[in-house]
Amino acid sequence: MSIVLVQVIVGGLLLGAVYALFSSGLTLVWGMMNVVNFAHGDFVMLGMYVAYVVYTLLGGGPLLGAPLATLVLATLGIVVYFGLIRDVMKGPMLAQILGTFGLALLLRYSVFWWFGANFLSLPGDLVGGTFDVFGIRIEASRLLAGIVALLVTFGLHLLLTRTTLGSRMLAVAEDSTAAQLMGIRPDSMQAIAWAIAAGATGLAGALIATFFYVVPTVGETLGIVAFVTVSLGGFGSVPGALIAGLLIGVIESLSGYLIGAVYKDMVVYALFLGFLWFRPQGLMGKT
Amino acid sequence: MLLEARDITKAFGSFKAVDAASVTLQQGDVLGLIGPNGAGKSTFFNCLTGDLALTAGKVFLEGHDITNRPPEARARLGLARTFQVPQTFEGMTVLENVMIGAFLRTSHRAEAETKARAVLARVGMERLADAPARSLGTPGRKRLEIARALATEPRILLLDEAMAGLTQREVQLAIDLVRDIHRSGITLVIVEHIMEVIMSLASRVMVFHQGREIAHGTPQEVTSNPAVIAAYLGTRAAAKVAAGHTPIELMGGPAT
Amino acid sequence: MRRTFWLAIAIVLVVAYPWVFSTPFQQRLGALVLLYAIAASAWNIIGGYAGQVSVGHVVFFGCGAYAAMGAYTHFALSPLVGLPAGLVASVAIAAVIGVPTLRLSGHYFSMATIAVAELARLIVTNTDYLGAAVGLSGPTVPRNVFDLSFISALPYYYLFFAVLAVTLAITWWMTNSRMGFYLRAIRDSERAARSLGAPASRTKLYAYMLSAGLTSVAGALYAMMFGFVDPDSGLGLLISVKILIMAALGGAGLLFGPLVGAAILVPLEEISNSLLGGKGAGLTFVVYGAIIVLIARFQPGGILALINRLWAKRKTKQESKQGAADAS
Repeated sequence: MSIVLVQVIVGGLLLGAVYALFSSGLTLVWGMMNVVNFAHGDFVMLGMYVAYVVYTLLGGGPLLGAPLATLVLATLGIVVYFGLIRDVMKGPMLAQILGTFGLALLLRYSVFWWFGANFLSLPGDLVGGTFDVFGIRIEASRLLAGIVALLVTFGLHLLLTRTTLGSRMLAVAEDSTAAQLMGIRPDSMQAIAWAIAAGATGLAGALIATFFYVVPTVGETLGIVAFVTVSLGGFGSVPGALIAGLLIGVIESLSGYLIGAVYKDMVVYALFLGFLWFRPQGLMGKT
Repeated sequence: MLLEARDITKAFGSFKAVDAASVTLQQGDVLGLIGPNGAGKSTFFNCLTGDLALTAGKVFLEGHDITNRPPEARARLGLARTFQVPQTFEGMTVLENVMIGAFLRTSHRAEAETKARAVLARVGMERLADAPARSLGTPGRKRLEIARALATEPRILLLDEAMAGLTQREVQLAIDLVRDIHRSGITLVIVEHIMEVIMSLASRVMVFHQGREIAHGTPQEVTSNPAVIAAYLGTRAAAKVAAGHTPIELMGGPAT
Repeated sequence: MRRTFWLAIAIVLVVAYPWVFSTPFQQRLGALVLLYAIAASAWNIIGGYAGQVSVGHVVFFGCGAYAAMGAYTHFALSPLVGLPAGLVASVAIAAVIGVPTLRLSGHYFSMATIAVAELARLIVTNTDYLGAAVGLSGPTVPRNVFDLSFISALPYYYLFFAVLAVTLAITWWMTNSRMGFYLRAIRDSERAARSLGAPASRTKLYAYMLSAGLTSVAGALYAMMFGFVDPDSGLGLLISVKILIMAALGGAGLLFGPLVGAAILVPLEEISNSLLGGKGAGLTFVVYGAIIVLIARFQPGGILALINRLWAKRKTKQESKQGAADAS
């Protein structure tokens, strides 16, 4: 295997880790309350813009930008839960999809209106330097993003499986009435899930903003990536999202390298449709 | 033999909700499925209707294998059901709800409407025909479920706790309705918590406990079966029964 | 009787509109309202009646538009000839999307429709035969009347009106057939509908194919009126959004809901665009997004459902008053 190919794969894995991070937010909410957030990709986009503002206008670095983006998005998640989701959850499917889809438009075009449709770029030296490992060149910004995303995704998994909060959330997911009888407030747990899910997108956005293209419509592609990841990994499963995210990252960079950058989104979409046809239960799901 | 289920197993992950349960149903039977909560009777029921895919086993209708047939195909073959939690079509009127069932045997709107009205008259709901279905309370919804199912002209009707949440008086009315349905030649399978209903309706009873069939026979036979009493009430109560208490009384309450 | 009366009034109003509001801008606006009403009514069949939210309906719109323009560009035929080709292609695409996804929960369907629309847009943008990023044009100077290329919006207005009437007639016929009943039942409870013998996946699929075919007609008409189509105007996500929001705002699952929605939103967009210029496009969609959120949160049935409810309330109030008067 040529060294370039290895480099492409490593790059794909690092990006895939970020995909896994924001997709685990989608999978958490989907698995827990059977709500699909069609604005999920736009949450990531918003995280990118928060980071952009911090990096360029406030002069802060990722150390400030990443936590701030996480915090802002987590807050937005809570607001969205109480302002919209809690009510549309009870309504017909149409209301649920319309609600989050409308939110996506609202966010996307508010940013479009404010910042314009142009591609923004961040100062290249924000997270400077490249590493040379066995002849593979890796940009520091991608390495940082990949590693942080990997750690946080793993942390999320631990949070859900090893802590009291996690088991309470699980209890609400299983049977919210029963959980209520056990003294758990489903409302709070679901709000926390939204905060975590949105916080993860904020962090992911801040992480990729350092090397990705920043543009209002990026959320659409990222939203589909998240959806593909979740349907591949099985909904509700963070480990599933992790594996699927890494896989999609690699597939995307490989197709970008082998058949051209224009086609990498196409490959992801086509992959998704192919899976719907032949394996709708996902990679990890049972028949 | 009208319906036969052979060694049905349904597992959710490693948990076997139903474990190798079998049953045969003859024309004119009224089969009662009973058991404590979580015993697997509802799961078994949903395996018969096609709502759940089996892990293992087979279902036959008049000798034809229908194991892999979806619910809509089973409906066409004469299997109709009601739901424990009524699945009313909220956006429709009572009449339209019943017409959905009637459309199985005709594609003409007028014909479906005539038939639906006849069914509504049969269950005593003709005056409510044009009311929005969402305005009905629990008894009305349960009765509407039965009406919809009848409109499909079933040979076998499966009732999933059709009496739960009804008052004593309403239960009596519902029992009368079910008797009337049975008299018209429809074979019945009923899942029921209320022992009194099973006692007065069922010709045969199948008792589930922890996913397995632990007894079957006439209502009298199963209610005096020690294993059944133990399953329902624990071993201590079983001893009490052995000491002379009537089992039905003990089991008459909510069997949770 | 009363409904026939109101319907007659509505028809007279629609027919008279371009004579009362006769400036080119007003006539064009009227034609656009009717055009979007066609597309939104077509969406209504799958999105409203069947409750399956297609977010990528533009792919059928684009199919119609590209087929119409393609017929002219590549074969020098009237754009009208391309219309059936686009229709067939749309129905085929709908089957390809619908067969796997309509068996799954509605989320998969919605997401798959977005993915297909975006995939189509990317493919077309990179296909020279379809004009790539520039798009395809129709005849600049009409060769005969069958090119359907007019300077005035008036012929389009009546053409669109006729097509809308046909679309609504088909919808009306469908809602009164077994299929329409089944669709509404499936929307409320798919499980119950299936237990009563309704073949849910197949019924939804037929509705989706019907909806796709009618949407492609709207796309073809759009391209004929504007004389060109490019990836943005024929396959952009925002077209899907407009179609969907018009139906939802007016009343999803109601016959005249999409028309009402189009009559509100098209003028709103045209006016805001002419006031705000290019910058307005972003703002328009901010407003669209906000409207969708508000509908979902407070009035998922749309404006017509709200009016119907208020009307019914007033009627029962009057009746109870009447009853009280009779009693005294």
